[in-house]
Order: sequence, then structure tokens, then C-alpha cells
Amino acid sequence: MGKVQEITVWASGVVQDKEARDVAQCLAAAAAKEGKFIQAFDNYVDLPDRVNVPVRKYARISDSEIEEKYLYENHNPEIVILVEPTLVKGVDVLQGMKGDGCLILNTGRSPEEILKFIPDKTPLKKIACVDAMKICPKAVIDFSGSEGAVEAAGVGVGIGAVLAGAAAKVSGCVTIDSLMSEVGNPEAAKRGFDEVTIKEL
Amino acid sequence: MGTKKFLTGLGATATAVKMADVDVITSFPIRPYTGVMMILSQMVANGELDAEFIHADGEHAQLSISHGASAAGARTFTGSSGVGVTYAFETYSPISGGRCPVQMLIADRTLDPPGDFGSEHTDALGCRDQGWIMGWAETPQEVFDNTLIYYRVGEDPRVRLPQFNCHDGYFVSHIPGDVEIPEQSQVDEFLPPYRPVDPLDPQNPLGHGPQIFPDQGPALEAMRHNAMMAAMPVIEEAIDDFGRIFGRKYAPFVEEFMTDDAELVFFINGAHAHTARYAIKHLRERGIKVGLVKIRFIRPWPTDVLQESLSRFKAVGVVETNSSFGIARGGGILAPEVCGSLYDVPQRPLIASFMGGLGGEPITLKEFDFIAEKLKKIAESGKIEKPVYWLGFEE
Repeated sequence: MGKVQEITVWASGVVQDKEARDVAQCLAAAAAKEGKFIQAFDNYVDLPDRVNVPVRKYARISDSEIEEKYLYENHNPEIVILVEPTLVKGVDVLQGMKGDGCLILNTGRSPEEILKFIPDKTPLKKIACVDAMKICPKAVIDFSGSEGAVEAAGVGVGIGAVLAGAAAKVSGCVTIDSLMSEVGNPEAAKRGFDEVTIKEL
Repeated sequence: MGTKKFLTGLGATATAVKMADVDVITSFPIRPYTGVMMILSQMVANGELDAEFIHADGEHAQLSISHGASAAGARTFTGSSGVGVTYAFETYSPISGGRCPVQMLIADRTLDPPGDFGSEHTDALGCRDQGWIMGWAETPQEVFDNTLIYYRVGEDPRVRLPQFNCHDGYFVSHIPGDVEIPEQSQVDEFLPPYRPVDPLDPQNPLGHGPQIFPDQGPALEAMRHNAMMAAMPVIEEAIDDFGRIFGRKYAPFVEEFMTDDAELVFFINGAHAHTARYAIKHLRERGIKVGLVKIRFIRPWPTDVLQESLSRFKAVGVVETNSSFGIARGGGILAPEVCGSLYDVPQRPLIASFMGGLGGEPITLKEFDFIAEKLKKIAESGKIEKPVYWLGFEE
């Protein structure tokens, strides 16, 4: 079985539900465009989500077919993205990360400032910050895509596109070109890619 | 030409229901099937789908409304999961006895206790004796296709039976996959409008489901039995036509994988067939001749097909994602049916069942390795050491 690259997106329940899902979906769709095998789904156990309760969305990318596709969680994420940056203070968002990992936060603070909140930095290779709300002041609150239903508000039109762009730059999991072709707001994705601040550890 | 979409099993179901142009939809929320009603209600609200959408006050009412709508000649769609399925249990026999071809999606969920969203097939299998056509889909694509196939079979005047269109909750209902969406003209060619034989109609009054005397009972039950048996050739016809029109050819009842030279097979229904296929590829690299037999219809149960298929192997491992406490052989619901099917065959394989995926736990590649190892031992020794293994609890 080939290696599956795991991406976990954390967010606040309900208010960031859609944007977080969009990050996972856009990265997966971009990888699919590059011929990769992919999965993208919500954490089933977090649902039904409640306002501001931490929720997780997952993308999984692989060069070969994904053999065990019925997992409930990404157990060893390589890329962790926080739509809600304050979760870094209270939740062990790096759990299961095995090293050479990337952490990307939606914040106007600097990577150095955020690092203070991470007690064990060993699994991290890079930490990156991007102020998604400043770049694209639009966070879509919509429930149509939850519970396995079909997204009706357009994918990647708000801050999710910025964060996906930043993730593409930091991790190289997809190219910015393929990402831009899969998001509703390609310009936001490009600015996320260009404007993210990265610190190598 | 159709289009390709990345859809969950629920998204695939809703798309197929829309293309089947259903008339009445009845809903009541319960995870994991709820998403399908979220999508369908939006379609009705947007004007994409011209249907009555009725939100009931519970599953019993939900199914009762479906019964009435179907009896009046409407193409009807409903659905549920887990304890929602069992709450409506009383309605299933009247619906099939009234020969109303309601289609009900069951996205499996474990029955209580305790509360658990994970997929286990006991919710649906518990209703297997109620005169409904029943089967499982493995992928969102198969979900889409089965939705159309089930309507076609159930509404056929030779059959006229309701259908449980089942797939695993979360694994299939919530994890998206590629789905080819055909042209509407293809769907229209495959699935003609529903023409009820004897609908309730004020202009032409008649009664359904009256109180009867006991001596009228046997004939009615025999008719329902005959309808279920008549579904066999109708399913074959529908699958043939489906392949011709949509270009996807399914085996009607039993899909085999790497069985040509197999000595051992996994017998399975539903989502876990996906993992089983990869397990088989790896096991074969290690020289173990194992294959897969995936059953697509549980009702009607394809006895003849299974006799022909399974008698070719030395050992069969029935993977049971369900439980029936105290059943014959002491395991799940499928193994006794498999054993029963093969009793009349002189050349029988040895059969053991493997309880796995209960509570919605995924069945892993390692667990399929365990099953293969046990089957190998059974085939070599020529006897089963015990009829049932509980995956994860055994050495």
C-alpha cells in the first residue's frame, strides 16, 4: 500500500464548518486534478456539530489507490490547518504527527508568537501564518454541505481558499495552478500562496 | 454524455431520486441518512424537483404516509437509519402486502444501546422477512445505480414490491466518491413512469389491506412469496438493460473477484468489499488463493446462483456486519442462509462466519488476513474447528 498523505483541518463548529470543509475539499480536488487518489470528508464523530465546538475535516492524498478508506480519523497528519487559531492553545492539534509536519494558522500573529503555545515542537518542520480574513474578508456560514449532503454555496469562495493556497505553498501537497482551477475564488488562493509567512524549524 | 461528480452515497441517492422524478418524499431526521433529505428538500425548494415533500412526526408516520402515497399511485421515496428503521417496523408488512413499491434508503446505523452512529447491518437485516426487496451498495456509484434499478424492479407489474435500498452509514453515506451522472434521457429510457395496477382513486373506488378471515391468509402470503420469486428474472432483465443503456454491467446477484482459481473466498455484502479486494491482492502475492463473492441482493436471496458459485470453493468465510443473538450456529444472519442454500448441494464448501465491523468499526486489511488464515487452515484440515469467529477477540 502506498503512503497516504493526511491533511487535517480544525475549526469552530457551525460558524467555520463550511470554510474548514472547503479547505479539505479544495486541496483534495486539486490533487485529484493532478492524477492523485484522494478522499475528503468530515470527521463523523464530531458531527452533528455544535457552535464553537472543535470540529475536524480531512483530506487524504495518495499516489496509489487508497486501500483502507473507511478510517474515521487521520491518525498521522502531515499537514494541520487551523481555521480557528486559538485551538492551538487548548487542543493537541499535532497529535499523531510523525515529524516533518506543517502547521498553518489563520492568524495575523507571527509564527514566532504562535510557537510559544506549542509545548512540543519536534514533529514540526514548518509553521506558517496567514491572515485569511484580511485577504478575503468573507467567511461563509452555510450548512448545505454538512452530513454528507451536497454543497450549495460554492466551494472555495471565502477564507477557505486563502488557507488552501497557504497550505499549497507551505507543504507543496498540490500546485497553486491546480488549486486555482478548483476554488471558487482563485485570486484569494493565490494571495494565500503568496502572502503566507513561513518559519522553518 | 453524462457528467462526473464527486458525491457521497447520500448525494448519489438524491441525484438518482431526482432523475427518477419521484412524486412524494417523506422524511424524518436521523443520522446518517438525514443528508439525503437535506438535499432533496433543497431541490424541491429550488424548483429543481417537482415533488411533495412531507416531513413527518416520526418514522412510523413517515412510512405510513409513504404507504398512502404509493397506494394512490405516486412514485415514493423515503429513508431512515438505525432505530428509525426499527421504529417504523409495523408498517413494512402492510406496505409490501399492499404491493406498494415504496423505495426506502437505509444508511445503516448500529441499533441502540448504546448510541452509536457507526454502520452495522442489523437495522436493515432485522426487516429482511417483511416482503421488501433488499440489497447493499458498495460505492456511491453503485448507490446511484441501485436507486434506479430498485424502482424499476419494484414497480414492474410482475413484482410490485417495496425496496430497501441499503448502504453502509458513514463509509458510503458520508465519504464521497466519483459518480457518473447519466443523461436524463437514459434514465427515462431505463425507468418508465410508474403505472400502478390498482391505485386508490375516488373515481374508481377499491380497498387495500382489508381485514380477512384466516382461510384467506395462505393465498395472500403465497402471492407475496410468488411476487418475491418473480423478482429474480426481473432483476436479471433490469441489470441487462442497465448495462445496455448506461454502459455499466453488474452481476445481477453475486459479484465475484479473483475467484477463477480460488480455493478460499470471503463472502460479503456492502462497503467492506472494498478493503477485501485489496486484502485479496496482497494475500495472493503471498500465494494464498483467495477470492471474493459479494452478494448484491439479500431479498430475494439468490439460492441457485450461490449454489453454483460457492460449491466451487474449499472454504467460505462469511463476513457478518450484523448480529443475531442465539441464531443457528451462533453468529450472524447471513451464514445460516448461506449454509441453507448449500445444504442440497452434494459438493459443499466448509463454511465459517466472521463477526466484524460491529458498531461501525472498520474491517482492516489485517483482519481479512486473519480470516484468510483461518480459511486456509479449515481447507487444509477438511474441517471447521468452530463455526463463528469474533474478529479482534481471537488468537
